[in-house]
Amino acid sequence: MMGTLVEAFSIPVIRHAFIGMTIAGATLSLLGVIVVSLHLTAIRFTLMHVGLLGAAAGLALGFSSTTGAFTLVLVASVVMGTMVNQKTVAASSISGLFMTGSLAGAFLLLAGTGVPAMQVFDIFAGNILMMTQTDVVFTASVGMVVVLVFVFAYREIQLVLLNRELAQVLGVPVDAIMTGMFVLLGLGIATALRLVGALLVDAIILLPAMAALRFARNFGMALVLSSLFGLTTTIGGFLVALFFDLPVGASAAMVATLLLGISMIIARISAH
Amino acid sequence: MSIHSGSHYAVDLQSVSASYGSTPVLDNLTLQVHKGERIVISGPNGSGKSTLLKLISGTMKPTDGTVDVLGLRLDNQLDRQRIRQQIGFLTQIQQDPEIAVSVCESVLLGLWGTRFSWGKRPAKADRDKAIDRLALVGLEELAHRDIRTLSGGQRQRVALARALIRDPALVLMDEPTTYLDSTAKEDLVNRIAELHRQLGFTSIIVSHEPLSALLSDRRIHLESGTVQEYREVQP
Repeated sequence: MMGTLVEAFSIPVIRHAFIGMTIAGATLSLLGVIVVSLHLTAIRFTLMHVGLLGAAAGLALGFSSTTGAFTLVLVASVVMGTMVNQKTVAASSISGLFMTGSLAGAFLLLAGTGVPAMQVFDIFAGNILMMTQTDVVFTASVGMVVVLVFVFAYREIQLVLLNRELAQVLGVPVDAIMTGMFVLLGLGIATALRLVGALLVDAIILLPAMAALRFARNFGMALVLSSLFGLTTTIGGFLVALFFDLPVGASAAMVATLLLGISMIIARISAH
Repeated sequence: MSIHSGSHYAVDLQSVSASYGSTPVLDNLTLQVHKGERIVISGPNGSGKSTLLKLISGTMKPTDGTVDVLGLRLDNQLDRQRIRQQIGFLTQIQQDPEIAVSVCESVLLGLWGTRFSWGKRPAKADRDKAIDRLALVGLEELAHRDIRTLSGGQRQRVALARALIRDPALVLMDEPTTYLDSTAKEDLVNRIAELHRQLGFTSIIVSHEPLSALLSDRRIHLESGTVQEYREVQP
């Protein structure tokens, strides 16, 4: 087993993929705490669909699907964050608008430009084994931004998640923090798309946080546990994929699902 | 900035109007609240009750008139920030919170902007003060529990402790008893009345529910942005 590992890690592509997954598991999973606490599950699902439109646009315009997805998800997160802050449209309506619009736009682009649909749908599967050193550096940079934001604005984020009205009275820039969290979420989803694909982004971002929030007794513990569960998901998924010759994204998603299932059982048992 | 340190009023609103875009909410409202006084403001939804609290807390600017709070006229951002440091704020209960926050941390957050902010950590004295405020509402033993595990009544007592951690001269309460069952409601009302006796803060409570006379020296009924009824409460 050790020999297999040493042999695998001598290949640069495997090394890059492993480092990328490790960083993403430890850092992007922190964003799940925001998603769960602010009930943003519909918004993050919408951002995944926006990624599909971005991929189609990227291919239609002659650059990579990943670049297209990344750019559009980031732009959409800023626009959606601003709309939610202005409270002129409900968050659920914004989700519906963007999700349906993105899917319609993607299919129209595919039909109009003749881009092969299967190429666009690669965004659903991710392409972890195509990671370059630059991709790893980029993932690490995004991860560092996420961690720094949580360190620098630890109590401000807590206040906004706990009670937005109170935060506003205390002088916390609530709108700026809300928009910032949307952008951070967009950045995280766009980065995770590259690693595990649109369908399995939840494995890195959402499921570890859901498991962590079942055990955490305070915000700090929720973040630390979320990061640990994220690491378990990505490293566990990577090793399972390596040893059993399975797709990395699906393996990580299965580990995350098992982790959440076990956490639900343990939480239920300890409640009795 | 203009300071009227000799003012007898904790809050002095003169001919205040306010609107959301083109929709007027308050119209030429004048209201004076003495230091240490307890006011309950009632009225139907949309009558301008919560807008009044936003004007007093400095989170909203009037379209007309003047707002003086604790001797300071709120006509610029700096003064609004200064006045917020002397105000405690109790909102209606947060139903089913999803965020994991310890009870002690939740109270401590009430000191944001005074003792810590943006990466600056609270001191041990701040944590001690949070525990002290929890003791005021009888919850110091639950300091390390997650707020999600508390009952609605307990969560609102934690929020009251948070409102008092700044040693506020003025406490604003927006629908503090909404969604509480009758036992928790009675308990909270008694605690607020007792803490007012002990600490002597001025309180303005906005509520669409009839509240006990224990909490009010004066009652004001707002409707369509103007005062409809103004009543002294007999002791």
